[in-house]
Amino acid sequence: MGTNRSYIGVLCALAMIGASALAACGSGSGATTASGGGGSIQIWEGYTGAEAKAFAQLVTRYEATHPGVKVSSLFVNNDYTLQKVQTAVAGGNPPDIAYLYGSWAPNVAKLADVVTLTNVVRQPGVHWSDFWVGERDVATVDGRVIGIPALVDNLAVVYNKTLFAKAHLSLPGPDWTWPQFVADAAKLTDPAIKQFGTAYVTPGSEDTVWHWEALLWAAGGEILNSANTKAAFDSKAGLTSLNTLRTMAVTDHSMYLDPTDSAYANLFNSGKIGMLVTGPWDLSGFPNVHYGVQIMPSFPGTDGGHQTISGPDNWVVFNNGTSRVKTAEDFILWLTAPAQVKYFSLKTGDLPIRQSVADAAGFDAQMNASLPEVSTFTSNLGNVRQARPQIATYPQISQVIGTMVVSVLLGKAQPGPALAAASAKVDQILAGSG
Amino acid sequence: MTASVALRRSRRQGLSSPRGRRGRVESLTGWAFVTPATVIIGLFGAAPIIWSLILSFTNDNGLSSTSAFIGVRNYRALAHDPVVTQAIEHTVVYTTLFVPGTMLVGLFLAVAMNRKIRFMWFYRTAAYATMAISTISEALVFIWLFDPSFGIVNYFFSLLGIPQQEFLNSPSEALQVIVVMTIWGWSGFAVVIYLAALQGIPQDLVEAAAIDGAGRWATFRRITLPLLSPASLFLAVWLTINALQLFDEVYLSTKGGPLGATTVLVYYLFDQAFQTNFNFGYASAIAYLLFVVILVVTAIQFRIGRRFTFYRS
Repeated sequence: MGTNRSYIGVLCALAMIGASALAACGSGSGATTASGGGGSIQIWEGYTGAEAKAFAQLVTRYEATHPGVKVSSLFVNNDYTLQKVQTAVAGGNPPDIAYLYGSWAPNVAKLADVVTLTNVVRQPGVHWSDFWVGERDVATVDGRVIGIPALVDNLAVVYNKTLFAKAHLSLPGPDWTWPQFVADAAKLTDPAIKQFGTAYVTPGSEDTVWHWEALLWAAGGEILNSANTKAAFDSKAGLTSLNTLRTMAVTDHSMYLDPTDSAYANLFNSGKIGMLVTGPWDLSGFPNVHYGVQIMPSFPGTDGGHQTISGPDNWVVFNNGTSRVKTAEDFILWLTAPAQVKYFSLKTGDLPIRQSVADAAGFDAQMNASLPEVSTFTSNLGNVRQARPQIATYPQISQVIGTMVVSVLLGKAQPGPALAAASAKVDQILAGSG
Repeated sequence: MTASVALRRSRRQGLSSPRGRRGRVESLTGWAFVTPATVIIGLFGAAPIIWSLILSFTNDNGLSSTSAFIGVRNYRALAHDPVVTQAIEHTVVYTTLFVPGTMLVGLFLAVAMNRKIRFMWFYRTAAYATMAISTISEALVFIWLFDPSFGIVNYFFSLLGIPQQEFLNSPSEALQVIVVMTIWGWSGFAVVIYLAALQGIPQDLVEAAAIDGAGRWATFRRITLPLLSPASLFLAVWLTINALQLFDEVYLSTKGGPLGATTVLVYYLFDQAFQTNFNFGYASAIAYLLFVVILVVTAIQFRIGRRFTFYRS
């Protein structure tokens, strides 16, 4: 443990303060793979398992059909790609393409070597509007396209059919409501056998935050005003959404609170949790339960409908000279063209990043064959109506909202005052950065 | 050290070259031995340390290529940042619980193991195994042990009639859970140090005390503890430095939460640099604040420690 601790400490220190020193060392080793000429590009991705296999097959196929082009891919843990890219850019030797989280987009746009793709995606044959609106929003910063969609997901409700039957409850329908969700959660809760109606992740991170943001939107609320200059969530919708969560966490004790952001999946797979608001990535982790998937509930009396939230990620192209940029753009457009998107989705169970692929006849059945009920997540992409604010200060705002949600769920604060306090802090952040 | 060995060897072999040339060869040999280590330490140790000092006077965000020199503004901001104050509080509370806790547990186990009983090899290996287990497995196990609903700790509490605790879900208990987790992880280290020191205690002193009529407790207090004091000082300094740099367990279990209750200095530094702000300048300033704190605390420990430390020679 001691060695581990100092090891991570050293890593941190190196990564943080040694940007230039590291980049200097890095360029030596990176150059051999990255600068093999105009026909050779390097791509940083974080695929593992089925995704890694499917991606490698696609790369092989591309190289076979494009003689002279060599695409070398480097595995980078997705969580750390931005800081590695930062280091590489500082050292003057970025990858040609990197897989970067959508939530980083406003900060990525500030990087010196990021290639603007606005005109590239306007080319005929790209069909930019075929990408889901949530994806396009996240790939665009202040009107400038800085990425091509790499992944899309969304939140829906995964429920345990066996537990519903045991509690003599009818299964959730497509027009269900949050009051119904709360009532079902209460009935699915049994302290004697440690069974919970639902769960919520409470590390206070963005995972805590976006779950609530989906409720806020469904209740008809907004995170910020349209100009992104002031907080807008201290509203009736904010109160409704927070109160809904509070009822389950504090009043009914029907909600398992998971500060680790990992325990909930095992518990659901062990039949200890009735309903889970989560994304398609969790489905493969539930082989032991007979589960169903339903779209998010709505709030009666609001116009928010069954809105959900999406967390798309981007492929970002970096400038290593005109010819390599050209190769990189060509590869990434090929990779995200309908045929490849369909192949990748069917191989991995990831949702299709293009609407035309999702709409194609027979596609849903093919997807469900490998991952039961995943097609509900695909159709749920139509319920993604807006994206989180695309501003550089969003991580700070997220932290404030995360604290607010957790304080309410732990019973440390009342929704009203918590909303007001968080709203004031967000206004401060927005005013501070201009 | 390697250089001096080479030097001694060359003398022993009685190299008969003129004095000036021999001196030059010797110093070249010395440099040849020291250079690789010096370069590596300089590159990966000294350069980042100096670089971060420079960074701490800038508004570098690691993103844009330009960063401006802003003087001591980062350090001034530190003084007015309520989270820094909280992080210092948490770090201090953690350190004052963790360091004595680990030393007591280590001392207790070491004394219990410093005798000849069956399967001793097993107990000693078991105690040291805590050092060999990776932090991530340790954190995962503790997360489940201390799960409020499904954890075994709350299960035993219910058997004993103790009210159920929220542990990592509770802002007032989360830091204590991390203290327990890390004491478990480090106790093996303390055991090894104390066991070695215990075995260095001369039996004649213990026997002399027994002849003088000292009981077991008196012998332990008057003979054993004073003779362990160098080991204790070493542990106190070493554990304190590590405690002030707490990060792994927090990152793996609570991510600084709930509600910032386990945000310690290094975690806040990480958060500022890589999570929320990409504010490398400010994070570097926090790193330097921590550096000065560790320097001062260690100096104080050595000064006070020297008064209570008894070296036999």
